[in-house]
Amino acid sequence: MDFRFSDDQLTLAEGVRDYLTGTHGPEVLRALDAGPNRDPAIWQGLVEMGLPGLLVSEAHGGLGLGLPEAALIARECGRAALAEPLVDVAFVAAPCFARAGDTEAMAAIAAGEKRLPPSHAINPWVADGDGEQLVSVDPLRNLTAASAGCNDDPYLLDLGALMSAAQMVGLAEAMLDQATEYAKLRTQFGQPIGAFQAIKHSLATCAVAIEFARPVAWRAAQALEDGLDSASVHVSHAKLAATDAATLTAETAIQVHGAMGYTYEVDLHFWMKRAWALAGAWGDRAFHLRRIDAAVFGGTLPIGPEHTFA
Amino acid sequence: MVLAYTPEQQAFRAEIRGWMEAHVPTEPLVTLECREGFDQHVAWERELAAGNWGMVTWPTEYGGRGLDLIEWLIFEEEYFRAGGPNRANQNGIFLLGPTIMEFGCDEQKARFLAPMARGEVIWAQAWSEPGAGSDMAAISSKAIRDGDHYVLSGQKTWSSRAAFADWGFGIFRTNPDSKRHKGLTFILFDLNTPGITRRPIRQLHGDTGFAELFFDEVRVPVENRLAGEGEGWNVAMATAGFERGLMLRSPGRFQATAKRLVELYRQHEAQASPSAREAVLQAWGAAQAYAYNTYGVASKIMAGGKIGAEASLNKIFWSELDRAMNRTAMQLLGAAAELRRFADGRVNQWLEGYIFSLSGLIYAGSNEVQRNIVAERLLGLPRVGAG
Ligand SMILES: Cc1cc2nc3c(=O)[nH]c(=O)nc-3n(C[C@H](O)[C@H](O)[C@H](O)COP(=O)(O)OP(=O)(O)OC[C@H]3O[C@@H](n4cnc5c(N)ncnc54)[C@H](O)[C@@H]3O)c2cc1C
Repeated sequence: MDFRFSDDQLTLAEGVRDYLTGTHGPEVLRALDAGPNRDPAIWQGLVEMGLPGLLVSEAHGGLGLGLPEAALIARECGRAALAEPLVDVAFVAAPCFARAGDTEAMAAIAAGEKRLPPSHAINPWVADGDGEQLVSVDPLRNLTAASAGCNDDPYLLDLGALMSAAQMVGLAEAMLDQATEYAKLRTQFGQPIGAFQAIKHSLATCAVAIEFARPVAWRAAQALEDGLDSASVHVSHAKLAATDAATLTAETAIQVHGAMGYTYEVDLHFWMKRAWALAGAWGDRAFHLRRIDAAVFGGTLPIGPEHTFA
Repeated sequence: MVLAYTPEQQAFRAEIRGWMEAHVPTEPLVTLECREGFDQHVAWERELAAGNWGMVTWPTEYGGRGLDLIEWLIFEEEYFRAGGPNRANQNGIFLLGPTIMEFGCDEQKARFLAPMARGEVIWAQAWSEPGAGSDMAAISSKAIRDGDHYVLSGQKTWSSRAAFADWGFGIFRTNPDSKRHKGLTFILFDLNTPGITRRPIRQLHGDTGFAELFFDEVRVPVENRLAGEGEGWNVAMATAGFERGLMLRSPGRFQATAKRLVELYRQHEAQASPSAREAVLQAWGAAQAYAYNTYGVASKIMAGGKIGAEASLNKIFWSELDRAMNRTAMQLLGAAAELRRFADGRVNQWLEGYIFSLSGLIYAGSNEVQRNIVAERLLGLPRVGAG
């Protein structure tokens, strides 16, 4: 029993964070928004880091890592509000191809050549798909109608929900950081607004929500990696906790920004809108609550102090 | 990350389970907040100690088993699974004990720790004063050096268990000219020392939960000082870290409440509101989240890390979770919520739990103060006022 990421895992995630901080700041988001929404150079950078092949075995050109690492990196993608379809393709679709033994698809993903996201019956629309264009509130989402005849593989659904949860943890962290920075800089009544307790306490409440959503996501990633029978419940728990933390943090962050937060000019909105979009993707709140309900009230999940890791 | 127990850890769990099933009182004890109940709880502490379960993480020479924090969490899970009584010993084993291990000299460790683990000496914490609640640095009770003694004078209040406990630990101003955090010293004292008067205070539920302590020229030997003169604030902050961060409220307690809440919901399902159903599921989820986080903190400490201001996040989370769970139970009980005892004579534990949960947002540093700490020390927002 050791509920910590290893130094190697943390170093990997830090590397991705540094890379995205350096190459994918808010100015990039704004430029994408003003232009065609996607930039092959960004994708190429991710390919050069080996990220599309993170979960693909070394034999097929990947890094052969596991879902906990992928979840850590999905969180970084959330922190950076990355719009490229990395998470859906590399962390959601790839493990399904691996399970199905589709080595060709795995190799294509690892090489960065396959970037069509998976369709699933739960999602009426998907980002970066090949269907008809739809308009999302998230200006960088590239939303399209889902192609017909998509599958309902429960593993795919769990992966999608888990990785959305991990992204929402990162989105919430980034929104809390932005609101905190703003609260240090903006002055009213002769002092930084961050010195007012109303502001402090709202932000502290977000910090609590995020702190206790994070380990739920990690636990779910490990449960899915270990193939626990209960993994789906833990994934739903992660999606619920991350959705609630991100929703709260988004609302708090706009409030802390005042009218500035209500503009299209401040960076915050990119993160907030991604959180709104992901809240409904791969099973909305009600869907995941129902799955928890079925496990807890239905008695399929043992509960109580001795069942922390059931 | 390994989220599975070793065979040794599983065997340890089975051992505790066996012992608890054989020993946990089948009838609930009378509340800890009265003489009779206190004595029952102390007897239970001694029974635990006889089974060598007083505090499993402590070194064997102090009456422990030398186990690690994961094993402690397993112990706690099994303790709450079995419905073990509240720990009369909590201030000693969870707060003062770890503080003595960190700051005490060998002589103090030898003198205080083993009797603490054996439940022979029950401790009360005496920090708050009428003028120093959240603002603990406003403490004005004095300890003036006189040869090889300190002479204590002043008043402490809200001291849990002090009405019946044996010893107290507190912080006193050893330098009368000092201000705020400076000049405070951490002192241990026998509550039966001449000059100490205890005035029990009735709590919200009507029983005596804490007491006021009056010190009138109380002579305490210098060897009862923990760490150096004037270092009391730092020592107290370490104790507060244990209190908020890890030890005081282990997750098993909340997971057990969440499980009881699920059962209560089932009994009242026909009348329950839809929002109550979601609240019950949220309770399960939050109790689990708290457990994961605690395993994370324990793993970090075992790898050489420390608990810092994140302890405040924990304290906010568990206290608000506890209140939410008990509030949901009160809603499920409907009209029966107001009954102290149900028609069949059973104590309405949910009402007791709800009342007690309200204090969780106040003691161990109020949640407003914890939010200040989170905002200022974790988020780096500007500090205001004193403190
Ligand atoms: C059940 C229980 C057991 C206790 N046991 C012990 C014990 O064993 N030993 C012991 O020493 N003490 C004990 N206490 C006392 C406890 O530590 C204090 O109650 C606590 O520190 C708050 O102090 P106070 O009650 O004086 O409230 P106050 O400090 O007067 O606070 C009143 C209100 O003002 C708010 N407030 C105060 N300062 C600030 C600020 N800077 N920013 C925002 N809001 C603020 C508080 O959050 C609170 O809502 C216990 C209390 C309870 C309820």
